[in-house]
Amino acid sequence: MSRALGDQWPLPQIDDGNRGWFTSGELSVQKCLACGAFQHPPEDVCSSCQSFDLGVHLSTGLGRIESLVIVRHPPHPALVDAVPYAVVVVSLDDAPGVNVVGNLLGAPPEELRIGQAVSASFEEVPDPEGGETLRIPQWKLA
Amino acid sequence: MHGKAVVVGVGESEYYERGRSPHSEFQLACIAIRNAVEDAGLKLSEIDGFVSYMDQRNPPLRLAQALGVDELRFAAEPFSGGGNNVGAAVQMADAAVSAGYARHVVVFRAIAQGQFGRFGAGRAGAAGRIPAPMAWTAAHGLLNAAAECAMHTRRFMHDHDISQEALCDISLACYANAQRNPRAIRYGRPLTREAYHESRWIVEPFHLFDCCPENDGAAAVVVSTPERARDLARPPVSIVAAAQGIGPWFGIRMFQPKPLGGAFYGDVGRRLWSNAGLGPEDIDVAQFYENFTGPVLMAISEMGFCEPGEVEDFVADGALVGPDARFPFNTSGGNIGECYVHGFGLVNEAVRQVRGESTCQVKDVEHSLMVAGPGYSPGSAVLFGRA
Repeated sequence: MSRALGDQWPLPQIDDGNRGWFTSGELSVQKCLACGAFQHPPEDVCSSCQSFDLGVHLSTGLGRIESLVIVRHPPHPALVDAVPYAVVVVSLDDAPGVNVVGNLLGAPPEELRIGQAVSASFEEVPDPEGGETLRIPQWKLA
Repeated sequence: MHGKAVVVGVGESEYYERGRSPHSEFQLACIAIRNAVEDAGLKLSEIDGFVSYMDQRNPPLRLAQALGVDELRFAAEPFSGGGNNVGAAVQMADAAVSAGYARHVVVFRAIAQGQFGRFGAGRAGAAGRIPAPMAWTAAHGLLNAAAECAMHTRRFMHDHDISQEALCDISLACYANAQRNPRAIRYGRPLTREAYHESRWIVEPFHLFDCCPENDGAAAVVVSTPERARDLARPPVSIVAAAQGIGPWFGIRMFQPKPLGGAFYGDVGRRLWSNAGLGPEDIDVAQFYENFTGPVLMAISEMGFCEPGEVEDFVADGALVGPDARFPFNTSGGNIGECYVHGFGLVNEAVRQVRGESTCQVKDVEHSLMVAGPGYSPGSAVLFGRA
């Protein structure tokens, strides 16, 4: 099993809104070029100043666990072999106001705690339909 | 600030385990509506409005034709979300009747998961790719409401030093109160604290019994004018106040910093009390929508019944059980104990408490509260009272 949730788990469909996030190999977060506010997921309008002038911030990928769950009952037939797995909400140190969701890899789910420092890693998966290679952001304890 | 409308009838279908209904979902809707209209002493032909919620599958025009409605004057659904809109649906009927756009509006919800499949099943779809709007969370196996609510609950427990026992107490109260209610699916099937803790984890911090079951059934009320209610069969119940409150949009937006560890009911509470000119201390009995136990704890505190850090004591030691409870709560058994009709059973129970007809009747009820689904937005709540 090379991917956190197994190779059977469907990959994300890529569109203009999530291409940077799921393929760039960096934590690509939307930043308002007018007021400097960060927001996630990307939106057409800055929710702080209502500007349409939106750009991208490449985060260093350091953050903190804000909350977590341990999924034990498979919520989908393709996840039967993946459970138990941890899903974490992570706040980014260098993008205040942004929380992201990912899996915490390389540590037993029972040992995870709110407040632990984490760093981003990326699962590289060739697109089976011939599109851009996916680089799915995941997390490990820092 | 509130409408003038009153509830004149309540009704429901028989309640069934998921997939056990002998009737189609549309037939269940017709049964519940027929029962509510009959309870009111009205004729089906007099009904002139329908309100439901949650992308319901039984359109008003189909109902109007099937039930022999003379003239349909009003039909609506609140925007966005699911069980969070139970109160908003009642509010819309109140608004329509109070404004004079319709005279007898049915508010209802029907659900047959045997016919249409499970509502709570993973939403990511089967084969192919995860649709882009869901991918922010679903790519990581965060797929359903249980996991979304568990994420907020874990943070709430962490921030306010809440133990698993508080979650357990919500589930135990629903099961205990259902033992008085022959309509309840869990009637005759009490739950113990030991059985709760021994039940399997679904998504930590939720055990099996933290999650409301999925069922088949339908429930409805009729909202009319106080003038017409004078001639009807049953004592009218006033819609004292209703409120909605905005929170984040769904999916990944639910986890952005401001609301983490919350159920998004702070605004609903403030607006409801302000609209009613009343406060939590005036409430005699409350029905709280339990999609999962954890969000109920958050909603109780956000509605102003106690501070977040006090909620474990607030619900402990049987404080929610029975008609003489310290805080009479989910007296029909609620979604967990009675039946999950996306919360509509809670509306019927809140009305019955004012009428004095509950199977777990609280003494001298003047103000009866119904709080809709926590954790999703817009939240909503309705305060019923004596007309």
